[in-house]
Order: sequence, then C-alpha cells, then structure tokens
Amino acid sequence: MATYDDDKQHLSSLFEVGAERLKLIGDNAKVLMQGYLTGGIDPAALNERTLRRLINARVLYQPDDSHELKLRHPVTQLVAALVTDESRRAIHADIADKLVSIRGFVEGLQEAQRMGDSLRVDSQMLRIDEAVYDLTAQFEEAIYSLWHRLNSNFGFVSNLSDKIRENERAQQQIKRLIDGMSLIDFDELIELAEGNPTLRKILVSRLQQQMSAHHGSLLEVQKRLVELMTRFREQQERSLLVLNMAGFLREHPGFMVGDYSYRTQVPALVNCAAPIMPAAAIGLDKPEQQSDITQLVHTLYRELALKQKADTSSVSADALQGSVQSTAAQQAVEARQQQLKEDAMRYFIHVCEAPEPPSALAFLATEALEWPPEVWLFQVLAEYNALPRQEQKLFAITRDERRISVFNHVHIIEDLVVRFKAT
Amino acid sequence: MSLNISVHGPLVEQLLAGQFICAITNEEYFAKLQHDDVREGIDDYLKPLNRRVASNDDNSVYFLAYRDIDDPAREHLKQQLGVVMSSLLPLLVWLTYVQEAMGSDGILTAGDTVKLQELVVKTEDNPSLRQHLQSLASDKFFGSSADSVDAQAKQVAKRLVEHGYLVQPHNSRLYFTVTGKIDYLLELVRFIKDEENIPLDDYQNSQAQTELL
Repeated sequence: MATYDDDKQHLSSLFEVGAERLKLIGDNAKVLMQGYLTGGIDPAALNERTLRRLINARVLYQPDDSHELKLRHPVTQLVAALVTDESRRAIHADIADKLVSIRGFVEGLQEAQRMGDSLRVDSQMLRIDEAVYDLTAQFEEAIYSLWHRLNSNFGFVSNLSDKIRENERAQQQIKRLIDGMSLIDFDELIELAEGNPTLRKILVSRLQQQMSAHHGSLLEVQKRLVELMTRFREQQERSLLVLNMAGFLREHPGFMVGDYSYRTQVPALVNCAAPIMPAAAIGLDKPEQQSDITQLVHTLYRELALKQKADTSSVSADALQGSVQSTAAQQAVEARQQQLKEDAMRYFIHVCEAPEPPSALAFLATEALEWPPEVWLFQVLAEYNALPRQEQKLFAITRDERRISVFNHVHIIEDLVVRFKAT
Repeated sequence: MSLNISVHGPLVEQLLAGQFICAITNEEYFAKLQHDDVREGIDDYLKPLNRRVASNDDNSVYFLAYRDIDDPAREHLKQQLGVVMSSLLPLLVWLTYVQEAMGSDGILTAGDTVKLQELVVKTEDNPSLRQHLQSLASDKFFGSSADSVDAQAKQVAKRLVEHGYLVQPHNSRLYFTVTGKIDYLLELVRFIKDEENIPLDDYQNSQAQTELL
C-alpha cells in the first residue's frame, strides 16, 4: 500500500511542478517565441527571477560564455511541432529504446501477476498501453510531418537547392523510420503476450494493424518524394542550362554554331523544314462544282451586304446630322481641286506661248498662285501624265532632281520645266 | 490510309505552314500525331513534297522535317539555324527574367501559365526587374521602343506568340500558355552545348567568382 501512496504523492507533485512550469512558459510566451525565431534571447528582456526560474525549469540555457540565452532543444521541438515548422522539426525514431521499455513493463506486469498485486498489474498495463501508443504516435507524427512537407512542395525553404537538400533529408528520415519499424519483432511480442488476451490485443493485433498502415504510408511518401526529387533535379538542370547559356552568349556575342546542316548526318533537331503555304482558288473548270460555287458567291454577297448595312446603320445617325455641312465642305474641296487643275492647264498654255518658258515653280511665283510648291509640282506632273499619248509627245518635261541619300535611289523633284516641241 | 488523309487535312496544313504541334497548341492534333499509323500516313502523303513528320526527343512536339536533305534544304537549314541563334539570347534572358520575377523554382515549361498582369505588377515594383525587362524588350528580336513596363511586356508577349512559344487562349484576356516549342528550344540549347563543348559547368563557377570579386 505504501508504494501506492508514494506513487500518488509523486504523481501529485509531478502534476504541480508540470503545471507550474507550463504556466511559466505561457507567461513568457512572447519572449520565448522571439527567441525561437531569432535563435537567442537577450537576458535584459527578462527580469532576474524569471530568468532563473526559466533556467531551472530547463526551458532556457546559457551556452558557455556567451551573453545570449537559448531555448533548450525539447522546447524548440515543442514549438516546431505546434506550429508545424517543418524546417526545425526533428523526428526521433528511437524504436529500439521504446521496445526495451515495453519489454521491461511486460516483465513487471508478469511479476506483479505472479505476486497477485492487482493494483500494480493495472498500473503496469496502463504503462504498456501508453508505451505502445507512444510508439505508434511517433510514426504517425513523422508521417504527418512528411506529408505536410511534401504537400507544401517544401515551401518553407525559399530556393530550389534548399528544397533538394530538404527532400534528401526527408528521404533519409523515411529510411530510418522503416529501419526502426523492422526492429519490431512480432514473434517476440506474441510470445510476451502469451496467455493474456488484453496484452495480446495491445501488443499484437492493434500494433500490427497500425504498423502495417504506417508502413504503407511511408512507402507512399517515399515514392512521392523520389518523384518530386526527380522533378526538382530536372528543374535545376533546366535553370542552370538557361542561365549559363545566356551568360555564355552574352560574353561571346559573335558565337556561331558549327555547320550542322552540311554534315552527312544532319542532327534531327536541326532538321526543321521550310513552311509551304497551300494556296487554292475557285476552279471554274468543273461544271459539277458550279452550283456549290454559285452558292458560295451568293453567301459572300449576302455577308457583304449585311456588313455594309451594319456599317451604314452605325454611322447613319451622325451622317444625318452632319449631312448638310459635309456636302458644303465637299463642294468647297471640289472647287479648289478644279481651280488647281485649271491653273496647271494655264501653265501648259503659257509654255506653248512664251518664247522663254519658265519652270513650274517660277510660274507659280510670277502668277502669285496660292498652292504649296509640292502640291503644284504634283499637279503639273499629273496633268502631263493625263494628256493623251499624241499630245504628250508635243511636250518635253525635264525634272530637276536631287538624290536624297547615297544608300538608296530615292530622288526628290525640286522643279519641273515643260517645253513645247513644235513639230 | 489515303482515305484518312482528307480527315487530317487541317492538321497537315498546319504542319506544312511550319507550325509546331504540341498538347498545348492543339490537343486534338497532338493526340492524332501520337499514333504511328497517322504519322506514317502523313509521311506517305508528304513524300512528293520532301517532307516527313519529326518530333523532339521526348515526343512532346511535332513538326515537319526534310525527308531527303538536298542542297537547297541544307541552305535553308543553315539560314534557319542562324535566325534561331540570333534570337536565342533574348529568349533565354526572357526565361530567366520570368523565373526571377515570379520567384519560381524552375524555368517555364510547356503548359505553364504566364499571367501578364502579375508579371507587370512584380516588375514595376522592382527596379532591377524593370531594367531587365527594358533591355530585353529593346532587343531587336522583341523590338519594343515603349517606355512603360506594361507596353514592353505586351510587345514581348506578342512576339513570343508570333514565334509560337506562347499561345493566348482568349484574345481579350492577358494570360498565356507556354507551348512545347520552349521545350524544343531548350533541347536545342542542350544539343548545342554538348556539340560545341561549351563548358557551362565551369562557366558558372567562374561567373560566381567574378561576382565575388
């Protein structure tokens, strides 16, 4: 009975100490979280007493002589697990140790049974149950963490090479977990549970069921990690190829590849044929197609008519409003065109009559005509070209030209001289 | 097979026009081209034109190649390679620019989406990216003389569509899908690297060293 009381007292003090220390962590949550993120805590951030309590509670420690305080590993791990911070989370698959303690508990249980200490039997059974739960929970936690990393595409690290390293790390973890799993010897557990149905259920059927499920999950995660790794490697290779080739070409601007196309064996990738545009027109030589063609033409007409209608209807409103003005403007333009034409004709007549025919620009100046010189020259040229062939022969036109550039054959006409050739 | 050719008419026409057909440019045609008998049929049909269906190493994109490589064909291939080489640097630089702007793990590959607006926003916020795009867009391959990031990005995308590296699924929406031709281009780059013994791996180290200096 004494052991029971001891146990009880031990448990109650354990409870109190634990609750007190969890509260201590909670009270200093912000400072501790800051320490988790930055890697260290400045002692000035805490008062002397709290600092001592945190160190005594094994939450913080002061590595050698450094001024800074650091979070102890289990605390860092607790935070990492709580916030699923995959970059910091470490998974211990210390299966062998757990198996040894289970074996120890089973021996204790058997001893208690032999002595008929039913209370101790119960407490041992509870411990076995817990130890087995611990064992499976460890795998569960590890698998959860692995899936989490996989599904987030290792998003918790920023660049590809870090992702590749994290992936390698995860694969090693899986290997260790699977190795650890193989340490569980079910034959031995069956032997241990011999003759105790409750124990048998805990140690054999439940554990086996969970382990086989975990094993399946691990293999699946492993497969997916390998696939992802292949993709990462491909991406890395492509990135490097592009980056380095771009750098190379930038440094060697005149770089030319070999004469691949004149090799006996032209590389397949280079052999990319010139395009051919297959053109076709309506063939009128096949009477049997005529009805189809007629139909095509008809639909074409209909479409054109529709389009025109749409065009006119969209502008008709504006057109109605501005129609009066627009006709007036149009008339003015026509009148000017007519005037220009008549002036040009007068120049031709003047050329025929004058003994010393002036150039086109000189005529423009002497007659004080309002036309811009360029327009005037165009009109003279146009007038000349518009003459009937017979009459054209009666005039000689000389262009005063200037070449605009040595690189092409564009000439600018500076002036024109028309002469009447008397027959 | 000659019967089926009429069924594949539009497909043959696209191929003849010099287009690269992949799962992104035309899923239906691409699926057809994956069948050996369809390719053989088209090959037979194109024989008088001295053409045959070719593909890249991993069969992700199909195009037409010369069946017999005669002198005019060689001359054309030579010229074409010259054109590709002159556009290679701007294309590669564009790929690294997009990777940098979007902060993605890898270089764009067939099927990836390029959201122009997102690219523009990220570029506008970052002077180094802005400069990157500016020098890229003014390259004669892209030929943009615009000053605004938006106009430059649009011109670059337009040229990439013209060259078949991107497709724009909806004319009104500014997002683009990368075609298999990019993969073809990278395969060509890899080929050139191997063929010309370009020491790219050492190159990276020397570049890192110059950066350190």
